[in-house]
This record gives sequence, structure tokens and C-alpha cells, in this order.
Amino acid sequence: MSATNHQQGLSNKRKGEQQRNTGLGLAGLIRLATRFLWRDLRGGELKLLTLSLIMAVCSVTAIALFTDRLERALLNESANMLAADRVLSGRQQPPREWLQEAQQRGLQTGEFISFASMVFSDQGNILVSAKAVSPSYPLRGDLLVADEPFGASYISDAGPAPGTVWVESRVLPALAIEVGDPLYVGNATLTVAQVLVQEPDRQQGGMMENAGPRLLMNLEDVPATQIIQPGSRVSYRYLFAGEQQALNTFADWLDAQPENEYRLRDVREESEEVSEALDRAESFLMLGSLFAVTLAGLAIALTARRYSHRHFDHVAILKTLGLTASQINTMYGLLLGILWVVAVLTGSIAGWLIHEAILALLGSLMQVALPAASITPFFIGALTALLCLTAFALPPLWGLRSVSPLRVLRKDVAVDGSSQWLPYTAGVGGILALILWYSGDLYLTALIAIAVSLVFLVLALASYLLLKSGTASGMRAGSAWLLAKSALSRRSQQSVLQIMVFAVTFMSLLTLSLLRSDLISDWQAQLPEDTPNHFMMNITAAQLPGIESFYEQRNLEGNPFYPMMRAALLTVNGEPARRPWDDDEQPRNLTERAAEDSGAGTAAPASADESGQAATVNESGEVGDTESVRPVTRQVTWTSSLPPDNEVVAGQWWDEEARPGEVSVEQDYAERLGLSLGDELVFEIEGQRVTVNVSSFRTVRWDNMQPNFFFIFSPGSLEQFGATYLSTLLLEGEQKLMLNDMLRAFPTIVVLEVDAIIAQIQRIIFQVSSAIELIAALVLVSGALVLLACVNATLGERYRENAILRTLGASRQLILRAMLFEYAFIGAVSGMMATLGAEAALYFLQTQVFEQAFRLHIWVWLAGPVLGTAIIAGIGFAATRRVVNTSPLLVLRQLAD
Amino acid sequence: MTVMVEARQVGKSVKTHDAQLHILSDISLVIDKAESVAIVGASGSGKSTLLGLMAGLDQASEGEIWLAGELLNDMDEDARAKLRGQSVGFVFQSFQLLPSLTALENVMLPIELKQDPQARHKATQLLQRVGLADRLTHYPNQLSGGEQQRVAIARAFASEASILFADEPTGNLDTETGATVIELLFELNAEFSTTLILVTHDDRLAARCARTVRLSSGRIVGDSAKASPAENTGSVTEPGQESAQA
Ligand SMILES: Nc1ncnc2c1ncn2[C@@H]1O[C@H](COP(=O)(O)OP(=O)(O)O)[C@@H](O)[C@H]1O
Ligand SMILES: [Mg+2]
Repeated sequence: MSATNHQQGLSNKRKGEQQRNTGLGLAGLIRLATRFLWRDLRGGELKLLTLSLIMAVCSVTAIALFTDRLERALLNESANMLAADRVLSGRQQPPREWLQEAQQRGLQTGEFISFASMVFSDQGNILVSAKAVSPSYPLRGDLLVADEPFGASYISDAGPAPGTVWVESRVLPALAIEVGDPLYVGNATLTVAQVLVQEPDRQQGGMMENAGPRLLMNLEDVPATQIIQPGSRVSYRYLFAGEQQALNTFADWLDAQPENEYRLRDVREESEEVSEALDRAESFLMLGSLFAVTLAGLAIALTARRYSHRHFDHVAILKTLGLTASQINTMYGLLLGILWVVAVLTGSIAGWLIHEAILALLGSLMQVALPAASITPFFIGALTALLCLTAFALPPLWGLRSVSPLRVLRKDVAVDGSSQWLPYTAGVGGILALILWYSGDLYLTALIAIAVSLVFLVLALASYLLLKSGTASGMRAGSAWLLAKSALSRRSQQSVLQIMVFAVTFMSLLTLSLLRSDLISDWQAQLPEDTPNHFMMNITAAQLPGIESFYEQRNLEGNPFYPMMRAALLTVNGEPARRPWDDDEQPRNLTERAAEDSGAGTAAPASADESGQAATVNESGEVGDTESVRPVTRQVTWTSSLPPDNEVVAGQWWDEEARPGEVSVEQDYAERLGLSLGDELVFEIEGQRVTVNVSSFRTVRWDNMQPNFFFIFSPGSLEQFGATYLSTLLLEGEQKLMLNDMLRAFPTIVVLEVDAIIAQIQRIIFQVSSAIELIAALVLVSGALVLLACVNATLGERYRENAILRTLGASRQLILRAMLFEYAFIGAVSGMMATLGAEAALYFLQTQVFEQAFRLHIWVWLAGPVLGTAIIAGIGFAATRRVVNTSPLLVLRQLAD
Repeated sequence: MTVMVEARQVGKSVKTHDAQLHILSDISLVIDKAESVAIVGASGSGKSTLLGLMAGLDQASEGEIWLAGELLNDMDEDARAKLRGQSVGFVFQSFQLLPSLTALENVMLPIELKQDPQARHKATQLLQRVGLADRLTHYPNQLSGGEQQRVAIARAFASEASILFADEPTGNLDTETGATVIELLFELNAEFSTTLILVTHDDRLAARCARTVRLSSGRIVGDSAKASPAENTGSVTEPGQESAQA
């Protein structure tokens, strides 16, 4: 009978199906999703998730906006340092067609020639570094001029007109002339039209171009001077500015030119000191936004997990009522979609406001006008939110589709096992994708992935063990501790997770803030306020007493005088010396660059030719020395006391009665040469051989803009050779005028003025430091969100437990104290882990990414656990007070649904 | 008579960590349209499991189940969900209201699932019918247990389902509240002439149904519709050796 009856039932049903469409349409699902969202948002369920998401968008957008504008400001600033976006320079004039080619590609071009020259007035003469510029100079940045020496400055629209020159203030008193008077450059008579106060690229190029005060003239006037002769020491520079894209294709085109040894360079290649600061800042900003997003992602993952757990039952009900798995997916997908839109909108606005607020705060300190923001940061923020949602929130919700409707009958029906792992895999994958996206560095990403998984493994194991031992040892602490202890071990898996989340959060915060203070203090140590900003070279031994008394009369504080000479390293232990670099014979540091350019420190010190007409400084000694394997020569010195910022890392620095015949080698250089302590080195100086033994290795701060040497000989080793001396001097503001007096008194001295570049680097460092502070603060907020999310994740259970304990007669006081203990313990353990992890991370980051020296932060070893305890206990206490203050009856009733 | 639900030699076993646990064995049962059946038995005898299988919430390990003319064995979870949405209403011991939705929205949901534009109107009427006209916008946690169960009953009838499954609907309620809820359930059942399958361990409640099926240790040990319970014992099938009919 039944078969026919079933047929009948079936056909009945078919009929019914035709009458009414089954299933909920998209509109219905949207309605359902918004209802869920609305209720869960008000009920607090989704509040943290949304907040975290908004926080992710907000911090990423704010950081991106800020860095975008700051980076472009820095780019402008550094372009200013070049007076162009890219430059090309050489001792020979590069082909002029290149300038035309660049113009055809839509680039702006400019050029100048620089050379050192004696200039004369009827009353006197002075060695200047002359710069003959094309009318378009400078392409970037401004020329500041004044109408009288040391007068008020203003921006000039154009460079000096043909027939005129601009000179720096101190030239005028040195020549005893005024603005409007004539001045002789070579064979040309030119009129002083303005006082030059500042030029953007004052410190670019060889040090020779900065020896002596600047004289700016028009390129057209160069032939009339007849200064530039074959063999003259002149440098040519072409300037280019324009769109990044056009610059890059032009650079490629240049590289493709046959027999071209010129290369387009940007400021990073031109100035090591600046590029290092910029690189580090970029790494830090990248790291900061990464941490902020990772933490926000962690918070999202935690809340989404909790949210999806709470929704298991809802899904079972919906399925019972007839919703299919795909409808459920669509509904939760829509829910996330709405959440995304809300978060992107609010987060973008908040991010904009925050970045504006910070700019306003920094406004008075910022010395550069920031360019307007681009749209990219908002795009990055929106994409980050999407990535966060897909990686952290979607996977737990995705698992909902497989919830069995049977849950309406049996709570213990397990959720499909495979989906349990999806959230973790996706979360980790998401974080790695973020790292890859932000860093664009596959190697770094892989390294971090390995490091993080190791740290996680160790953390999990260690916190598990600590939990075990902690719960076993706290027996005497009374019933509150007993309660806490049993809670910890009852939830041991959850507690381990909690400790790990807290530890990772603290670790991120610690790492970032330690990195921040290390970077900033490192920069401050690199170029402190009173960094000497003038190099004096070519000083003879006979001049030393005179200079000392010159200082004394003018209350100047002198610095050590280093004797300097060129030495070629011939053999190491009898074997010919290796070349430390493949393309050697380049000056390798500021000291050598300065020495090369000024021609100082050679066996026969080249001095400015003062005889009159052909007043260029000639190329010194090395021309024509072209054998293929000639020994590497370096500027060397001897001194009895270790120069500042040098640190002996192996062997011993000589003491008072130093024996001749010892040498101290810079560590990195020694490594390249394959040296060990005690090795016998033979140098050739002025054609004579000198044999010395390596007695120590030193580290040197190359970026401190101070005299630094690869080889320092012990006193007595080199005294038979004629050395010239090098020293530095701090001259600020009006003090610069004393240079005139000094040069008049000691005309053979060459002074290199590095004050402008030091000021510029200090400015960049300041900007970068402020950016870093800001980002550390944003990451702090993200971290706080994670802590909240994590504490909240266990609140539901705590409500239940509290209700049960209270009905069993435990006092509120007792429960509160137990919770405090529990949180304090978790906080202490995670603080400890975080300290360990942060030091490990710092070691990695500082040695691999930031190229800083790593030092342990001893005080953190105490502060980490203490802070961890205090913060977690505080947050936990605040959160659980609510738990304890809710009536148990209410709790049990709420839990029933 | 139209058959609403038929079970043929149904068995259910689950794998626990150490052994195969047989929850139900050899259940054969035919329930006709508009019949009211009580499934009784001690706690743990398999009542809820049987209900879940007949309602298409779970798959049987052995045997065949027809629900509203469709063979459940052939259907995947999505198809069963559609069938549930079409033909089945539920009332559970633990109410199972969606906490995110108001009473009205909870009742509207199954009507909306059928894309009925009258959802709000019909849901309001049903809630009036169960005496909750003034609680439409309340959320489940603002309602008492009895009120929640009345919302659940309104929801169960909202989809105009032809079969209603109720799993211990009074289990979480005190006697008095339970009694009112039961009254309501039977009243509405009569009004809509729904097939009612009610799981309970309360014999007095069972007595209100036209037919009683008694379970013990996963087997039917009594069926008031049959002359003698012994009739069933003749058709025991070995597990795995299922009837070949499709
Ligand atoms: N998925 C399952 N896994 C393990 N045991 C189950 C499962 N479903 C039911 N059981 C067991 O089968 C027996 C019957 O359960 P149930 O149908 O809920 O009984 P009743 O509703 O009659 O109290 C119980 O012992 C229960 O523990
Ligand atoms: Mg049951």
C-alpha cells in the first residue's frame, strides 16, 4: 500500500512546489544578515570584531596616509638634496645628446660644472668652490639669497644672470668688497649680484666641490674665464627631474648606451647616510603597519571564532527551518560584506582624522610642507580589511556550513573536523600574505614564517609546562589560589592559547617599542647636536701650534689632529694582499673621499696653486698609475688614543708607551683581507716599506661623519714620513665667519663644510623618528584590542562558572580574587614569554634588517613580566567584575537560550 | 489514507571511540496523515534519535525512511533542508529560538523562507493566537520559558507544515506552564490538521495522542496501532543486509 501512497504524496508535493517558490531569495538573506548583524552589534557579540576591523583599517590607512605623505616629503627633501630627482656626474663631460634625449622623454634637465678656483678682488683673494649652472638650475628645491652679507634671505626664482655671480656671505669680507662690486674669476670679470644663502645640493658631489665658500655663476660665463683646461680638476653634473616612470625608462636607455660608464643616480646612491636613515625608516614603518594589522587580525580571528561558536546553534536552527548550506554561506558572507563596508568607511575616516591630528601635532616641528595624500592609502586600508576578513573571519564562519542540524537535538554533535583547522591555516596564511604584501620580500617572509612557527612552538610548550608547574606549586596560597589553579588546569588548552595570544601581543609591542628607542637613540648617537661640521685638511705639522692658539683666541673647541698619509698594502704574511672589494680603488668612507678630493694626505701634499692665473687645483699623484694588479692604497693615520666611536673588538689597543710597528685594523676590512691578530703586514709609503703586526681589530661608525680610518698605526711607526693633518671643527651660525680669518692665517688649509648635509640628515632623522613614534602608538591600540578580545573570549564561560560557584556558596570576594590570581598568573607567564620572544625578534631584526648592533635590554627582563602581570590582571579584573556583579540567576537564564 | 512518514527496518549506529554503538535497530513504522503519535520510552531509549531520522535531520545507517512522499535516503543535506522547510515543523525541549531575532522575526522566518509576502501579517496573527500579541518585538532572552515555547509553537505552525515533530516540548517547563503549552499545541494541531509526532517520557501527555509507540533500548516494544508488539520481531534484518528495494 505504501508505495502508491508515497507516489501520491510526491505528486501532491510537486504541485505545491509549483505554487510557491521554495527558498529565501537574496533580499531575504540580506534582511536576515542585517538583522543578525544589528542584533549582534548591539548585543556586543560583534562589537569587538567590528572594532578590531575598524582598527585594522584605521591604523593601516593612517600609517599609509602618513607614510605616503611623509615618504613623498622625504623624497622631495632628498630630491632637494640633489637639486633634481636623478643626477649623472663625471670628471669628463657626458655627451650632450643625453640631455636632449631626456627632454624628448618629457624630463626636465639642467647642468652645472664645478671646480675649485682662487678668485680675486682688488683687495684680496680666496679659494672658492665655483659652480657654473644652467638657467634651469635647480630642478628641485630653492635657491635662497640675501641682498647683503648675513642679511635676511628669500627665495630666488632664477640663478645668476650671465655676467654676475652670487657668493656666500663670508666671501665678501674676505675680499673686502660689497654686493655690486666686480670680482675676477680666471680671466673673466663678473659682478657680485647677490649673496648666496643656501643652495639645495650644497653638499653633493666630491668634497672638492665643497672646499671653500660657494661661488655661483652662469654656465655661459665659463669659457670667458678660461679656467677649464685639459687636466683641470673639474666635475660635470647633469640634472634630471620628472615622472618616476620616465626617469626609469631613461635610466634604462642610458644603461643600454654603448661604452657608457655613467649611471643615473638618486639620492640614496649619492648619500649613504641619508639612504640608511630612509631604509631603516621604511623598514620600521612597514614593520609597524604589519604588526598593527597582524594584531588586529588576531583580534578578528579570536572574536570571529567566538562568534562562530556562538552561531553553531543558530545555524542548526536555520537548517532545521530549511536553509541550505549555500544559503547559510551566502548569509554569513553578506554579513561579513556589510561589516567590511562599515569598517572601511569608518576606518578610513578615523584613519584620516588620526593622521591629520598627528600632522597637526607635528606641524610646528615639521620643516617640510607635506604634499597632498593620494588615494592609495584608502585602497590599502580597504584591501587590508578584506584580507583580514577572508583570512581571519571567513574561515571560522565557513565552518558553519557544515554544522549538522542535529545539534537542535544534541548539543554535542561535533562540527566537521576538517573545518577546525581551516581558521588557523588561513589565519597564518593571511598573516604571511600580509607580510609578503607589505614587505615585497619573499626571503624575509620565509624567514619570518620559520621564526614565528619556532617561537609559537616554544611558546606553546613553555606555557604548557609553566602552567603545570605553576598549578602544582601554588598550593599554600589559600582557597582563592586553589580556585584559580583549578580554573587554569581545567581550561589548560584555553589557557595556553590565551598565554600565547597575550605573549605574542606583548612581544609585538615590546619589539616595536624597543626597536623604536634603539633606532632613535642610535640616530641621536650618530649625529649628536654638537657634531663637528667642518673638516680641515692639508694642515702641516708646522701649522699645528698656530691653529691651536687660533682656537684659543676665539674660544673654539678643537678636536684631535690626525696625521694622514697614503699607504699601499703590499703583503700579508709574505703573500700579496687580497683586494677587499672587486671594484676597489674607490674612496671607501667620508675621510677618504675628502682626502681624495682635496688632494690631501698624499706623500707630497698638493696645495692650492696660489701663483695666480691658472688657479685650479690639479689632479693629485695617482694619474697614469694603471698597472692591472696594483696594491690597494688607503688613507692611514697613527695616534696614541683610540678615536671616539671606535671600539676594539679583538686584541689590545696600545697604551701609553706604545711600541712602533703595530697596526689596528677595522674589523670588517680585516675580514675582507682575511687578517688575524699578529699577522705581518708590509705597507709601502713614499716608496719605502714599513712592516707592522696586527695588534687589534676595531669597529668604526662610518655614518658619524667624522674622521675614520681602516688602518691606524701605533705612534712611532710612521713618524719618519711627511704627514698632513686632518681635524674637525664645530662652527655654527656667525662662527662661520672665523673661517675667513683662519684661511687668511693658514692659506694652505682646505676646509670642507659638511654643516648643511649634517643639518639635512638631522632633519630627516627627526621626521622619521616622529613617524616611528606615531606608529608605535597605533600598534599599541591594536594590541589593546587583542587583549580585550582575548579576555572577552572566555567571559561566557566565566559567567557560567561564576553562577555555579555562587550558587554553591562561594563569596564574590573569593571568586574575584581567584580570577585576579588566574589573570595575574597568565599575565606573568605571557610577559616572560614576550620578553624572551621580543629579544629573539630584536636580535633577528636588528642584525638582519636594520643592520644595528644588538644589545640585550636587561631592564625589560624585569619590566616585561611585571607589566604583563599588571596589564592582564587589570584588564581581566575590570572585565570579570562585571561577571561577578551579575546575579547568578540572570546568568543561568541567559545561558539557557 | 496518505502515508506521511514511513520507516522500513531502520537502524542507527554511531562509532564511539571504542566500539560501534547501536542506538536504533529494526524500526518499522507507518504514520498516516493527520495522525497524532506519541513516541515514549525511558531516557536514552533512542526517542530523539528516531525523531531526528524521521524529520530528516540525520541519515539512517540502515533501512529506508520516507517523509512526505520523498525517500530521505536518496537526498543530500540541502535537499532534506528544502523538504524540511516545505513540510516539517519543529518544537524542541530547549525552544531553539534564534536569539538574534525578535519573537515576530523568529515566527516570520519560516514564512519568509517560502517567499510569502504576507509573512509579517501571518506571523503576527499566529503570535496573537498563542497569546503573545504584546511581545512581538521582544527578544527570546526577554521572554520566560513558557513564552519562548509558545513562540516556538507559533513558528512551527507558521510554515503551514504538514508534519510537526515535537521533542519533549514540556521538558524544560514547570507542570503548569507545560500544561498550557500542550493545550496550545493540540489546539493548533487540530486547527491545522497537522500530522503530529511527539516524543515524551510523560505517559499522561502520551495519552492525549491517538497512538503510542514505545521504545526500549532502540527497539519498538509496543505500538498501540498494532494488535500485538510481537508482530515486529519476525522481520529482523541483519545489519548491512538491507532490503534491495529503492
Ligand atoms: N551521535 C551520538 N553519539 C553517541 N551516542 C549517541 C549519539 N546519539 C545518541 N546517542 C546515544 O544513544 C542513546 C539514545 O539517545 P536519544 O535518542 O537522545 O535518547 P532519548 O531521546 O530517548 O533520551 C543515548 O544513550 C545517547 O547517549
Ligand atoms: Mg531525547
